[in-house]
Amino acid sequence: MIHAVKHHPALELLEQFIEASLAPELSLAIAAHLDLCPHCQRIKMDLEAEAGAHLAALPQAQSAETDWQQMLDFITDQPEVAAQLTQRQPFAVQIQNSEILLPASLKPLLKNKLKWLNLGGISTAKLAGEDQHNVSLLYIRKDSEVPQHTHLGLEITLVLKGKIYDESGCYGEGDLLINTPDHTHTPRTMSEDCLCLSVLTAPLKFKKGLTRLLNPLQHLFY
Amino acid sequence: MLDSTSVQRHDDRNYQRPGIQGSMSVQPQDNAQWEQALTFIAVDRDKQAYSQLFSYFAPRLKAFGLKMFGNEQQAMEMVQDTMLNVWQKARLFDASRGCASTWIFTIARNVRFDMLRKKQSRKDELSADDLFFDGDYPEQEGTDSNEWDLWLLAEKVAPHFAKLPPAQRDVMEKVYLEEKSHQEVSEELAIPLGTVKSRIRLALDRLREAIDDPRS
Repeated sequence: MIHAVKHHPALELLEQFIEASLAPELSLAIAAHLDLCPHCQRIKMDLEAEAGAHLAALPQAQSAETDWQQMLDFITDQPEVAAQLTQRQPFAVQIQNSEILLPASLKPLLKNKLKWLNLGGISTAKLAGEDQHNVSLLYIRKDSEVPQHTHLGLEITLVLKGKIYDESGCYGEGDLLINTPDHTHTPRTMSEDCLCLSVLTAPLKFKKGLTRLLNPLQHLFY
Repeated sequence: MLDSTSVQRHDDRNYQRPGIQGSMSVQPQDNAQWEQALTFIAVDRDKQAYSQLFSYFAPRLKAFGLKMFGNEQQAMEMVQDTMLNVWQKARLFDASRGCASTWIFTIARNVRFDMLRKKQSRKDELSADDLFFDGDYPEQEGTDSNEWDLWLLAEKVAPHFAKLPPAQRDVMEKVYLEEKSHQEVSEELAIPLGTVKSRIRLALDRLREAIDDPRS
């Protein structure tokens, strides 16, 4: 059965996503969430339609007529490019002795063989990033607890497979957990293994502050 | 050919609904005209159709680029890359998936993302095409509106109405307070039906967040 996604990014986060204003690592987590969440896919398209209408209604920025003409001539001299829309398909990866389907957004980061680092019930494999920006897979075996930890920026966790529990509830496939430096939580697994995407990134600037990164009321409706 | 067709269309609409919206708004006939231009470009490499699309969108993309990058050079680079994509990949535009302006926005956004990536000279392989999937997501059935009709009766929603973006508020007031159909609202505001529906969905999500925010 398909798990109904309950924990979504807030609208403001999606707004920043669709205009490419988020840190790339965070964009990746949102894109992977979108792959798993039909509700947010629709919101993304709606926000893009609004942004398009906004673009079309902007006042014109001036340039010299010759500059525009030069650009136009250059462009129309270029040949057509054969381009095709690709299908968005999940892809299978061998992880800890089982085959797991991952969201298409992650595919470019999984070209190389994964190097797992094992720490008790938890294994991590780094996918990308440096310094404070870090993208990794987190594999938590059943009945394990993730030790309390701190971080300078945001910690974003996307559940890819299985379930994880913390003080505020249960998170299943597609659910997004966002923790700020103020949060301490001790996520744990229960009867099944859990695979997560974990993204550490620098803090974001938000109009309403960091508490509004998630949209918790949505679970009442979806 | 594009010229005469579009002029005629423009006149038709204007006579039917004189002066409904301010000059800043984009009318449905604009979108229809752009869609037609994109079709001519895709099929015939029609330079005249492209030139018209260019003269409308390039200066507006520049305004968008100036806002996002804060400098002329990068703004113009974004305009050129975006409009080049429009010329070279017009076949990818599919009117059934959204407006011409939406398509052009997503191209500009992807160009901007890749420009920022290049500037950071990052080694990993995140690209806009992978992250901002612009193909078909499966069609979703709307199941949320009935529950929301009940919620909208609640007094707690009312104060948040005023804080919605004006375009969404207009649509919501007509649908929920004046009880007009989506089609009626589309005609009255001279915006596409799809835009009415998408503004309602966005407004509902915004209201959900507002109600849930303990500080508001």
